[in-house]
Amino acid sequence: MNNFIGRHPVWSLVIVILIAAMLFLIFAVWPPELEQVLGRKRIFLSALLNGITLGGLYFLVASGFTLIFGLMRNVNLAHGSLYLFGGYFGYEIATWTGSWVFALVATFVIVALLGIVLQFTVFRWMEGQDLRQTLVTIAISLILADLMLWRWGGDFYQVPMPAWLGGPVEIPLVTAIRSSGELVYLQYPLVRLVILLGAVVIGVLMWLALNRTKIGMLIRAGVDDRDMLSATGVRVQFLFLAVFAFGAGLAGLTGVVGGTFQSLQQGEDIKILLASLVVVIVGGMGSITGAAVGAVLIGLADQFGTVYMPTYAVVLTFVIMVVVLALRPQGLLRGH
Amino acid sequence: MAVSVAERLSAVGTANALELRGVTRLFGALAALTDITLTVRPGERRAVLGSNGAGKTTLFNCITGDFPSTSGTIRFFGEDVTHFPPHERIRRGLRRTYQISALFTGLSVIDNVYLACRGVSRGRYSLLRPRRNDASMQSAENLVQAVHLTTVKEQLVSELSHGQQRQLEIALALAGAPRFILFDEPAAGLSPTERIELIEILTSLPPHIGYIVIEHDMDVALRVVESVTMMHNGRIFKEGRPEEIESDPEVQELYLGGGHG
Amino acid sequence: MALVETANAVGPGSAKAESWSLTSTFQAHPVLWLLALFLLILPAFASNFVLIEIFGWAMILGMIALSLMFLAGYGGMVSLVQMTIAGCAGYMVAIFGTTVMTDISLGWPWWVGVPLAIVIAVIFGTLSGVLAVRTEGIYTIMITLAIASAFYYFTLQNYAIFNGFSGFNAVRTPVAFGVDWRAPVPFYYLILFWAVLSYLVVVYVSRSPFGLALQGVRDNPRRMEALGFNVTAHRIAAYAFAALIAAIAGVLLVWHGGQISPGTAGVGPVIDILIIAVVGGLSRPIGAFIGAIIYVMLRTFALDALVAVGLDGKRFQLLIGLGFLLIVLFSPDGILGLWARWRARMQRPNTHGGRA
Repeated sequence: MNNFIGRHPVWSLVIVILIAAMLFLIFAVWPPELEQVLGRKRIFLSALLNGITLGGLYFLVASGFTLIFGLMRNVNLAHGSLYLFGGYFGYEIATWTGSWVFALVATFVIVALLGIVLQFTVFRWMEGQDLRQTLVTIAISLILADLMLWRWGGDFYQVPMPAWLGGPVEIPLVTAIRSSGELVYLQYPLVRLVILLGAVVIGVLMWLALNRTKIGMLIRAGVDDRDMLSATGVRVQFLFLAVFAFGAGLAGLTGVVGGTFQSLQQGEDIKILLASLVVVIVGGMGSITGAAVGAVLIGLADQFGTVYMPTYAVVLTFVIMVVVLALRPQGLLRGH
Repeated sequence: MAVSVAERLSAVGTANALELRGVTRLFGALAALTDITLTVRPGERRAVLGSNGAGKTTLFNCITGDFPSTSGTIRFFGEDVTHFPPHERIRRGLRRTYQISALFTGLSVIDNVYLACRGVSRGRYSLLRPRRNDASMQSAENLVQAVHLTTVKEQLVSELSHGQQRQLEIALALAGAPRFILFDEPAAGLSPTERIELIEILTSLPPHIGYIVIEHDMDVALRVVESVTMMHNGRIFKEGRPEEIESDPEVQELYLGGGHG
Repeated sequence: MALVETANAVGPGSAKAESWSLTSTFQAHPVLWLLALFLLILPAFASNFVLIEIFGWAMILGMIALSLMFLAGYGGMVSLVQMTIAGCAGYMVAIFGTTVMTDISLGWPWWVGVPLAIVIAVIFGTLSGVLAVRTEGIYTIMITLAIASAFYYFTLQNYAIFNGFSGFNAVRTPVAFGVDWRAPVPFYYLILFWAVLSYLVVVYVSRSPFGLALQGVRDNPRRMEALGFNVTAHRIAAYAFAALIAAIAGVLLVWHGGQISPGTAGVGPVIDILIIAVVGGLSRPIGAFIGAIIYVMLRTFALDALVAVGLDGKRFQLLIGLGFLLIVLFSPDGILGLWARWRARMQRPNTHGGRA
């Protein structure tokens, strides 16, 4: 980090100022003049937290996507389909068994197995043919999308939320002061906080796995230099299977999560895929930390856009992407 | 990049063909090149020798600009090209061959050479097909003849033998009006007869064209150059004439004794 | 890229490099003469439906796929933004011309609106290229897909210029020089003219310094730099050239449908163009049109075919997906590849195991 500050003093100053401004906005009580300009603080805080939790969701999907690309150079455009399929499947399991947690686990397993099948029967034979693999994933996503449409139609589905996740929780952030002098705190849905916590936990576990285990080291080496990986003599195909299975399972599991606090319907696969693309372009391909940073950035852009610039919320996300591509094409966090 | 023509002309007369000062190239923490300072005069023929990993190809990559150097300056015929992209350096007369032939496998031999001729002339974006008397086309035909590839000129590169591909690789470097050429292991994988042909091509180049040769085959290298630079671990550790280097005990121990290419 | 190389390396000696003269292309493939003749006299015996909804539509899609083929086959850049460029041109035609949306459409004459629309679409395509070319090849498909969806969402949500979800209806094809160009026969010949012209231009340019340089950039960009070419500039120029073709097709597209909306250039159609180009074959320009006619035929007759075998006619996308999967798995260089391998086999029936 000292390197960064040393080489980009102006940017560092800008970032520090932005962080200071954010901290003020979050923790201080807003004077009426500020509320005139920016609207209610409660709305701002909600947008902020919604953005971060949405970012958590995006991170879970995008991290699998970026891992699969980073290691196997496979731009898996069926990733969104895996998300949606996981969501639908989780819905069925949850309504059938009544257990949300069981649905999560079962979905992870089933979609991971689907990933293993795909990697083993199809992608394995296309080593090195990056474009061809991507075209196959497009075909698979078309097939899956139509099969899902056939089975579940165009309706909205919502994965039933367990009772212990329901309801709001009070967060120690002041939104306003009542005329009696009493402080009003922010009420926020518990489920979103739990999901954010889950995303953070999984993210940390992934980081630890990549940086502190032998298998993680092999994956990182493979991301940097695939030829070197085969030279180490390790069973590369086994590694690929494991990574694809994990990425797919994670996407499916996230589908259940997304289906819980958002909803599932036809077309969601494309939306989440596009979100992943933007997150990964912004954060940098093959980088988990990049996926995290990109996800939070895009989540915040999405939510703040929806609240403060409703007509152009989505465009804001793409504007960020265009700016990153223009100034730093390899993504914010990727080296060269 | 905005150097006046007058400045350039005056520089050409007196300048060195190639001048590297303090060139360093880091890959993360690994120093592939450390503080390289090197001067080559116009028309000089030099060999850069050293064991594998000595940094020879990295040196070439920095000179052509394939990789930017981490620090230091590079001057080409008096002009500071340190921050120029590769194509700007090439348009000023620098050429290069690759250790593993870097050819356009989807195109024919004559197409490959034609591109090389076009690259250093005007009309790179021309949408018009070349006419019969097109200058670049003529140069391409002549060049193909010079490297004895006329019989296969319409064939796809992927169908050539290894030796023919190496010949084509050299032809690409001779296109246009080169002033200085970098040959990266031109003899790699050649048969004895092909090596003799190679030596012939190199020694019969016009005297104003200087070159640097990276080679593991000392026989070929020492026969086509008048000076030698020895590299080891990313640094230059000796320079001199071929006879001096050949008989130098340090060189013999370091290069011929261990780490033989 | 196996999708392009396989078509060239069919067997020693059989794959001669493309020659320099345009007419030799026709000499080598006499079937092209027959095709040209067939297309020219088609209006004499075909119904309006066949003229416009089958061949006309196929040629328009073929032009857009051709622009993709130019970038992917000759340049090694798989760009998913070509359909979007066509959509952009179509939108501009609607905005500058006369439509039912009188509060937005400017009502300018076609000889102002159409060229302007094409210029704007080409600028859009070039800028997309600027964003896409500075990264490695495999990112291109991602970045262009993201740009395409950005355009989709923008047109969906912007009402001031693009009229949001509804888009523009009753886009009128001009009446010029005494001809109603939307009448079936004139419109057919208009489309035919531009499709054939763009095809010939692409074939011609492929052997020009520009086209050869692009192929060089595809095969070895590092070497091209080392030969004196500014690789980034060449790629961007290629995007501009391809955008021109797609833009013209976009004008024909909006005139064909008489309407344009966000869905015209949505993710579905964007992917469809990719499928058309790949199924036809990325190695030669004619592949784009082969893919297009197959797609249009399927689109038109699949419903009846599906119902005939007892399947739900709505499962068209499944059919497309499966077909595409089969092609990518077993003949990634598309129909052209299949044909090239079949021809090679026919030429050497006595050699055991010809190159399949």
